[in-house]
Amino acid sequence: MNRFFTERNWLPGILFLVISPGYLWAEGLFFEKDIRPILKEHCFHCHGEAGEIEAGLDVRLRRFLTKGGDSGPAIVPGDAAKSHLLEVLKSGEMPKEKSRLSDHDIALIEDWISAGAPTARPEPESLGPEHLFTEEEKKWWSLQPIAAPEVPNHADHPIDAFIYRKLKKVGLTKSEAAGPETLIRRLSFDLTGLPPTTDEVTAFIEQEKYDSEAAYLSLIEKLLASPAYGERWARHWLDIAGYADSDGYNEKDLLRPHAWRYRDYVIRSLNNDKPYDEFIREQIAGDEIALAEGLGPDAATDQDKNRYAELISATGFLRMAPDGSATTNNIETRNACVSDTMEIISTTLYGMTIGCAECHNHRYDPISQADYYRLRSVFDPGFDVPKWRVPRSRLVSLQTKEEAAEAARIEVEAKKIDAERAAKEKVFIAEVLEKELAKREESIRPDLKTAYNTEKAKRTPEQKKLLAAHPSINNLSPSRLYLYDSTYKTKNAAVLKEIAARAKAVRDTKPAEQFVHAFVELPKEPKAVAASHVFHRGDPESPKEKVTPGDLSVLASWRNIEVPEFSEAVPTTGRRLAYAESITDGQHPFLARVIVNRVWMHHFGRGIVASVGDFGVLGETPSHPELLDWLATRLMESGWSLKELHRLILTSATWRQTSRRSEKGDELDPDNLYLSRQNSRRLEAEILRDALLAVSGKLNRKPFGPPVPVMPTEEGGIVIGNDTTDSAGRQTGKYIPLDGEEYRRSVYIQVRRSRPLDMLAAFDAPGMTDPNCELRPVTTVSPQSLLLMNNSGMREHARHFASRLTERAGEALDSKIQFAWRLCFARMASEDEVRSSEAFIEAQTKYYQENPTKFERASGPAEKENADPELLALGAFCHALMSANEFLYID
Amino acid sequence: MISMVMQGGPSHIDLFDPKPALDKLDGKSFPGELKFDDAAGATKEVWQTPWKFSKYGQSGMDFSELVPHMGSIADEITMIRSMHTGVNNHGQSINALNNGSALSGRPSLGSWLTYGLGSENQNLPAYVALTDPRGLPVLGVDNFTNGWLPSLYQGTVIRPKEPRILNLDPPMSLKGPAQDRYLAFVEKMNRKHYEQRPGETELDARIQSFELAARMQTEAKDVLDLSQESEATHKMYGLDKPETKEFGSRCLIARRLIERGVRFVNIYTGNQTWDHHHTMAKNLPKACQYVDQPAAALVLDLKQRGLLDTTVVHWGGEMGRLPVIQNRAGGKNDRSKVGRDHNTYGFSMWVAGGGFKKGYTHGSTDEFGHRAEENVVNHFDYHATLLHLFGLDPGELVFKRNGTDQSLITNSDARIVTDLLA
Repeated sequence: MNRFFTERNWLPGILFLVISPGYLWAEGLFFEKDIRPILKEHCFHCHGEAGEIEAGLDVRLRRFLTKGGDSGPAIVPGDAAKSHLLEVLKSGEMPKEKSRLSDHDIALIEDWISAGAPTARPEPESLGPEHLFTEEEKKWWSLQPIAAPEVPNHADHPIDAFIYRKLKKVGLTKSEAAGPETLIRRLSFDLTGLPPTTDEVTAFIEQEKYDSEAAYLSLIEKLLASPAYGERWARHWLDIAGYADSDGYNEKDLLRPHAWRYRDYVIRSLNNDKPYDEFIREQIAGDEIALAEGLGPDAATDQDKNRYAELISATGFLRMAPDGSATTNNIETRNACVSDTMEIISTTLYGMTIGCAECHNHRYDPISQADYYRLRSVFDPGFDVPKWRVPRSRLVSLQTKEEAAEAARIEVEAKKIDAERAAKEKVFIAEVLEKELAKREESIRPDLKTAYNTEKAKRTPEQKKLLAAHPSINNLSPSRLYLYDSTYKTKNAAVLKEIAARAKAVRDTKPAEQFVHAFVELPKEPKAVAASHVFHRGDPESPKEKVTPGDLSVLASWRNIEVPEFSEAVPTTGRRLAYAESITDGQHPFLARVIVNRVWMHHFGRGIVASVGDFGVLGETPSHPELLDWLATRLMESGWSLKELHRLILTSATWRQTSRRSEKGDELDPDNLYLSRQNSRRLEAEILRDALLAVSGKLNRKPFGPPVPVMPTEEGGIVIGNDTTDSAGRQTGKYIPLDGEEYRRSVYIQVRRSRPLDMLAAFDAPGMTDPNCELRPVTTVSPQSLLLMNNSGMREHARHFASRLTERAGEALDSKIQFAWRLCFARMASEDEVRSSEAFIEAQTKYYQENPTKFERASGPAEKENADPELLALGAFCHALMSANEFLYID
Repeated sequence: MISMVMQGGPSHIDLFDPKPALDKLDGKSFPGELKFDDAAGATKEVWQTPWKFSKYGQSGMDFSELVPHMGSIADEITMIRSMHTGVNNHGQSINALNNGSALSGRPSLGSWLTYGLGSENQNLPAYVALTDPRGLPVLGVDNFTNGWLPSLYQGTVIRPKEPRILNLDPPMSLKGPAQDRYLAFVEKMNRKHYEQRPGETELDARIQSFELAARMQTEAKDVLDLSQESEATHKMYGLDKPETKEFGSRCLIARRLIERGVRFVNIYTGNQTWDHHHTMAKNLPKACQYVDQPAAALVLDLKQRGLLDTTVVHWGGEMGRLPVIQNRAGGKNDRSKVGRDHNTYGFSMWVAGGGFKKGYTHGSTDEFGHRAEENVVNHFDYHATLLHLFGLDPGELVFKRNGTDQSLITNSDARIVTDLLA
């Protein structure tokens, strides 16, 4: 044994700091708050919770411990030395087959026994379901009602007041405000995901000189009003909603051609500043709201029709999870889809790991397995696992009755043309047959003709043989008719084609039928609605006790958690409607806290609760709990306005601080938990791509609609483009231009789970192979640098950017450099920077004059002509700016 | 070090740890206490392995018929039959074996080693993750995360399909001297930018990743070019057979990386490849066939090249499996659809080279293969032993964070398992 390990205790201690609630030892030890959590984590399973109690010892109450089990009392209060429990813990005999408890935990138990093993209050008479959770567990911070804390008087702006109070406590101070150039770049990316234009920068700097506060406030308003705001912030929401344009689950990964309506719903809702509570209600129960409001595709007014489409599109939220049932429709795939949806609901609405209770009671948080299935029961009637509908059957048509009638009328017209074509075809076949027969000996003509005109299945062996001897007759068929045109100098195929085109033209006048990828519950008689059950160990084929719909039972002590099983108001069960109203009632402990925390994270790079998807015991506790509650309360008071929340945060001095580090800050607060500065951040994948398009002048701001397709390249990468691989997956080399679609914002690019776009995947965009993404990793690896250096897409951006600079022809090189600098970095280049840029461009020009070459293209046919050496040199310069850290990072 | 991560939990009692005691009990109720994990369909019906075991090599090490190639390297490896993490689920147990605790967010083993030792090749990433075409293992990129160590120490993924590294070729219009000038210009901008932002180490990591990327253009191209290897080598790794070609190629790449001084390579199998809760009779042989020959070839090849003494090779998953049937399906005697549940209380994995014993079997599980009983090796012990072999002192291999020294090993009881050392 290594001496080092035994003689020095170098245990870093993070383990127990994170797991135990962190009460101070000195406060006095009690069973409920200090000892039970340890026993719950390590011992309850065998000694209390699982059906059979091991060695007759139940450790869930102090009095059970003194009573003991097969080996006598487990503890002797006041006498640690005689306590059997301590003996087995110290020796490592218990927990059986697990690691020995930490020294800290054992010491805690020892001290507690020595102190007489006190409890905080008399123990319950029995351990029924109402005692499933202790008072301590129920007191966990995130389960408490949202408080309305008083704002400390440390600053004018309430957020600053909360932040400064804490900074003072830890011995730090705030940093100075960032300069106007940094601020406009930071603010533009933050709210719109796009860099500021040069004009915007100039105007802001100018206004700033006169009234910096007014200039800043009007900039916030301008950006919040931009349609780009919704596109930027929708992407954040789509991460946790798990948005994808394909089914996932298996390698087939079928497309979801109508999912984009949900994406557009989110963008529109955010741009309209739809109150967050309404936003949630629509996504949880849009179909039931429509029923309650009497809306359908045949609503009286266009406004109502649009409202119906909006509500149904919103429910796409519940259909974002991977769904393998289109290819394999069995209990396993169905249940996996429901389970993944529960995961999404849990992350977005609760910020809790409710999914951990699918197979057993949550090991750390007060969430029982029954709770999981009660919550699931809210959604069960819509999913309807026993009468499952595969993805295609869940699509909702927006077609009105008039449109359907119109379509049917047009179809009748088209059918007439079809008939005309069929008749013509018959005539042509007969004509060709006669011509073919004429070439044969007269004697066999009648037999041949009869054989040909006999149905294939009814032909005699002789007839078959005869036909086989005359392939040009045998093979005569409608699909081969065109082959005879050249033989007989006819134009039969062209005539038929023209008729078919007319039929198509008529059909094209049909009103297009629009579909929505939606979650809709079908109305049923209450008795026909399948009951919900707890599944033994999460196995859908082992249902146990029935459950009724409801919220987490730990909340029952202070709010209603029941959801009625059936509703009078709507023909469906109405469960989601009732549930949606309940969680948006302004009292729910999670909804407002979770969204406020997420918004905060997107503004600062880190949530007040850093574990944005886990507000439970294993998550991190809030760095500023009062601020979190204050913000949540403000959000609700403002009518759940997210734009108002942005204004609040962005006007704080805390947000406007510089991101420069200080030695003291790094020493006392290495992760900048307390925000003595702003955080420097790398551009996310989508906004990096959007920024490349923006500075190179190519960005296509067209909003909404079906996604821009992605395709595999011959090299095995995934790029934007129309997929022209054949049905066997081979590259055909065919190129279908996208006509500017390829320059649209990244939020409009197809998210196919099996085909993550190289550019986005390299920079940590979620591939949605998990149901959703609560927190993106931020990696720094060389494949990203290789992409920035060598990717042909980067070469194309460089060429566009360089062309944009040369359009400023006549201007001197230094002003082109300045223009590029302002586009990329929102600041002027220093003299030094201009000089070294000039030198770089001149050297490159000279090189390209001696070594002529072409620009690369991201897709499609290669360039034919060598490029102008000056353009190539400017391109190299632009390429450099676009791969520089100053471009990639926001101060 | 090369670590072949068999995520999902290969069944030790069907591969490495024969249990004759199960013969008599087959089909009967398990006599003792069982720790089922989180999965559905638990039964107590004992299931003796349907596969034959034989003794291999001079050491007489046991292997089942599913892994004959591994048998052929018996005298090169140490089989640890008493692994234990005791944490219930895939994610937690992966974390335990990979970052030293059941929690996520801490640096992975590969990050610690590269943090402690650096790289011997400045033209390739120090830490490489060779991922499986069927997808990342459970926990995804967290398997090779740097956690709170600087970004420089995160694993770099080499893709499972061609091109294994995208964008490796410089574009025609920006290569050679033109690219050199471009790189110098970018670096100059980046250096100045970083100087103005002292302490922002992420910026420095990005600068270094750019420099590394530039050097990788030639070196990585070379290391990934398997056509440089002889036909015999291709055959040895099973590149001539469709069932072993994929994994064999990655094993061969791993050797080529290690040969060039890369410090740590992870080779993964796909998400839950080894998680045989059901249909094990069909799926376990398939999973074994995929890796058996290439994994054994890797050890042999390293040995032939004199690299095995300085390279630790590891093969194993985050758990083993229970001796009883799970997911009873089909008729009474039909075992085609059944599987086995998780078992983190006792399982096997093997290590080779780098100072581990040869032809040695360490520890044992109880007579039914459920619990590690003798010479138990938990994840703390395993890590302590590894660090020792790399000449690293866990008291010194620390990273200061929030005023405390953080280390790979989070338990003061961790011990170096000297029995494992040659």
